[in-house]
Amino acid sequence: MKALPPCLRSASSRHGLVQNHALQRRQQLPIATAVLCSTHSKSGRRSFSVLNRPPPNYPGHVPLTGLERAALAVGSGIVSFLDPYRGDMIAALGEATASPYFIERLRRAMLASPTGRRILRDRPRITSSSLNLPRLRSLPARTVGGTYVAWLDREGVSPDTRSSVRFIDDEECAYVMQRYRESHDFYHALTGLPIVREGEVALKAFEFANTLLPMTGLSMLAVATLRPAERRRFFAVYAPWAVRNGLRGDEVINVYWEEEMETDVDALRRRLGIERPPDLREIRKREREERRRVKEGAAAQAVAS
Amino acid sequence: MGSIVLSGRQLQRPLSSLCRSCSRRLLPRLSRSYAAVSSQQPDIYDVVCVGGGPAGLSLLTALRSNPTTAGLRVALVEAQDLEKVRSWKLPPDRFSNRCSSLTPASAQFLDNVGAWAHLHRDRVQPYHEMQVWDGVTDARIEFEWTPPAAGKTIAYMTENLNLTSGLLRRIDELGGVTVFNSARVAGISFGEETEDLDLREWPVVHLASGQRLAARLLVGADGANSPVRAFAGIESRGWDYERHGVVATLELEGEGWGGDAMKIAYQRFLPTGPVAMLPLPGNLSTLVWSTTPANAALLKSLSPKDFVALVNAAFRLRPVDLEYMHTISSGQEEELAWRLQHTQFNRRAIPQTVVGVQDGTIASFPLKMRHADTYIGERVALVGDAAHSIHPLAGQGLNQGQGDVESLARTIEFSVSHGQDLGTRMSLESYNSERYGPNHVLLGVCDKLHKIYSAGSGPLVPLRSLGLSAINALGPVKSFFMEQAAGNGIKLF
Repeated sequence: MKALPPCLRSASSRHGLVQNHALQRRQQLPIATAVLCSTHSKSGRRSFSVLNRPPPNYPGHVPLTGLERAALAVGSGIVSFLDPYRGDMIAALGEATASPYFIERLRRAMLASPTGRRILRDRPRITSSSLNLPRLRSLPARTVGGTYVAWLDREGVSPDTRSSVRFIDDEECAYVMQRYRESHDFYHALTGLPIVREGEVALKAFEFANTLLPMTGLSMLAVATLRPAERRRFFAVYAPWAVRNGLRGDEVINVYWEEEMETDVDALRRRLGIERPPDLREIRKREREERRRVKEGAAAQAVAS
Repeated sequence: MGSIVLSGRQLQRPLSSLCRSCSRRLLPRLSRSYAAVSSQQPDIYDVVCVGGGPAGLSLLTALRSNPTTAGLRVALVEAQDLEKVRSWKLPPDRFSNRCSSLTPASAQFLDNVGAWAHLHRDRVQPYHEMQVWDGVTDARIEFEWTPPAAGKTIAYMTENLNLTSGLLRRIDELGGVTVFNSARVAGISFGEETEDLDLREWPVVHLASGQRLAARLLVGADGANSPVRAFAGIESRGWDYERHGVVATLELEGEGWGGDAMKIAYQRFLPTGPVAMLPLPGNLSTLVWSTTPANAALLKSLSPKDFVALVNAAFRLRPVDLEYMHTISSGQEEELAWRLQHTQFNRRAIPQTVVGVQDGTIASFPLKMRHADTYIGERVALVGDAAHSIHPLAGQGLNQGQGDVESLARTIEFSVSHGQDLGTRMSLESYNSERYGPNHVLLGVCDKLHKIYSAGSGPLVPLRSLGLSAINALGPVKSFFMEQAAGNGIKLF
């Protein structure tokens, strides 16, 4: 999901890393007002056909019929299973399966929390320019900002690789989806899970338990593509961790990341009720070395005998 | 049973069928002639009604207006000052916050006893359509009469004070009721046996002023904490809902979507309880919002503009938004303005926007379910709230009381015209059997509706929406419920 070429958002990187309020405002999804209070009932909205597509509810919106939505879900699901690096396909799968219910549930979770409501009101967008990465690099390593930027640098990814939401009909729910997508990297930073396939699967399991978005649940099917040792580790360590913390912890969608940059990351984990899982990168490194030692030992033995 | 075996002593009791003038002539002589023997001789009445609320006043009006029962010697004992009720008057644009919905059946009864004409009719608002919906799923049921009966009245919204003052005026017109005004009941006990009167089985009401009233039939119309019920040893069972009903008189932006001729009542079921807006004349409406005691306390503490915003939100926003708006002590208006941009609803299916609330009309009262084990005892009958308390979600509380009164008055009339002692349990039996069943069913239905709609999530939510939509789609079933609610449906029990 991370490896999408950063060509989509070249505009924001061209604007450099200047904290520009006007820019930030333009990046927020515009609020469509008058149309919403119209007499369109839910059933009325579903009755359109391919030939008679209604106008978009927000810029970039693509209204889909139920059949199209199902086809999109199946198609994007198959492609992203075969190639987990197709971030656009995973995004489309997420949008096609989020409604009805799931994205509304996530919005409800946000509306139930004062911070979540503030996020929905302000509609901040996370990009490299809005985050001011050089400032984050100057923060201590213990802070959320420091951890996040260290994680970005370690994994070699940028926050500007997120595509815009297109297939969710309600414009506020579309923002919720956008926010989830843009916060995803912070979840990596919060849990310390790497973007290798095993780490992604573990994080998706955590997200599924926490956000209930079906795409995150479907992504767990990728556990079938893991190596047997990784799969064993997933079921023994990371799946129980994900379920326990995802369900017990607060809704991570309600973290106003922009305001938490200077917070101690352990304090934030404590506040959310989330324990840090065993460092997957460390484990994998240790195992690799172990394997190499075993192999070398075997080779040495073979030479000796 | 005692009334059948007429012993010599019992024959000396004043007969129930004695005309008023006779008994009046008889009684002073009785008390006078025996004053030397016993100065404590109580005043003897055929019917003593404790409580001058809608139920008590309706009963006395019914008894006095019926030629058969007009001869009974009746008394009313009321703890509060009825003068205030009698002289009750508000400017035409101000309305009391305690309003009730009177079904056509109740209105017909009030008309039969001659009281309906004494109400300020310009303050009574009939409504013709009802919109009821689920706040969680938006499943909706629309009660509107189908063409042959289109525009028929579902119920009349009436201020309780308009009703009681109208009844009082009718009683004054009929005359013949001994009223003990502002009279506190100090106690109720059985009478004593004297040489010529055996009052040992007769309840005697002791007033704080020292007067004593012996009653052939003591009627408890004295509310939920009925002293008469306590005297009769009748247990009242049920539970508290842990909810309060918040009432207020609201000013709307207009006369309603149907204009003045076609008024609509609205009710939305929220997980905390139903919120209802019922039409009053002009651009006014009355609010009945069943909610948690904490929310009720907050509603009462809000500034008028935030209160109005929260009422508007209650009919428009999602439960999650409402829940949040109940956690802040101000700023509901701004919160509503923001959330309205992101909430879809059909403007014409919900009440018009509230623009103001009348000063001093926001109040609340606790909600409970209670049902007395029986409505009758020997020489005791309970009516109205003394017999039952119901959740206000169907607006049936006052109508149940009117139904009780109508039935009890008919029972008394039967006893009088057949020469029976009207106070004995046997004479009263038909009242109890006629009213207990229907009241119990209605109490149960409202109780279950409250419980079903208290769930904010879970499997019950889709099921109840399915049920509501199904009833909405089935015309005859819906008509049946409407006829039942209007009080003119077929008698089921």
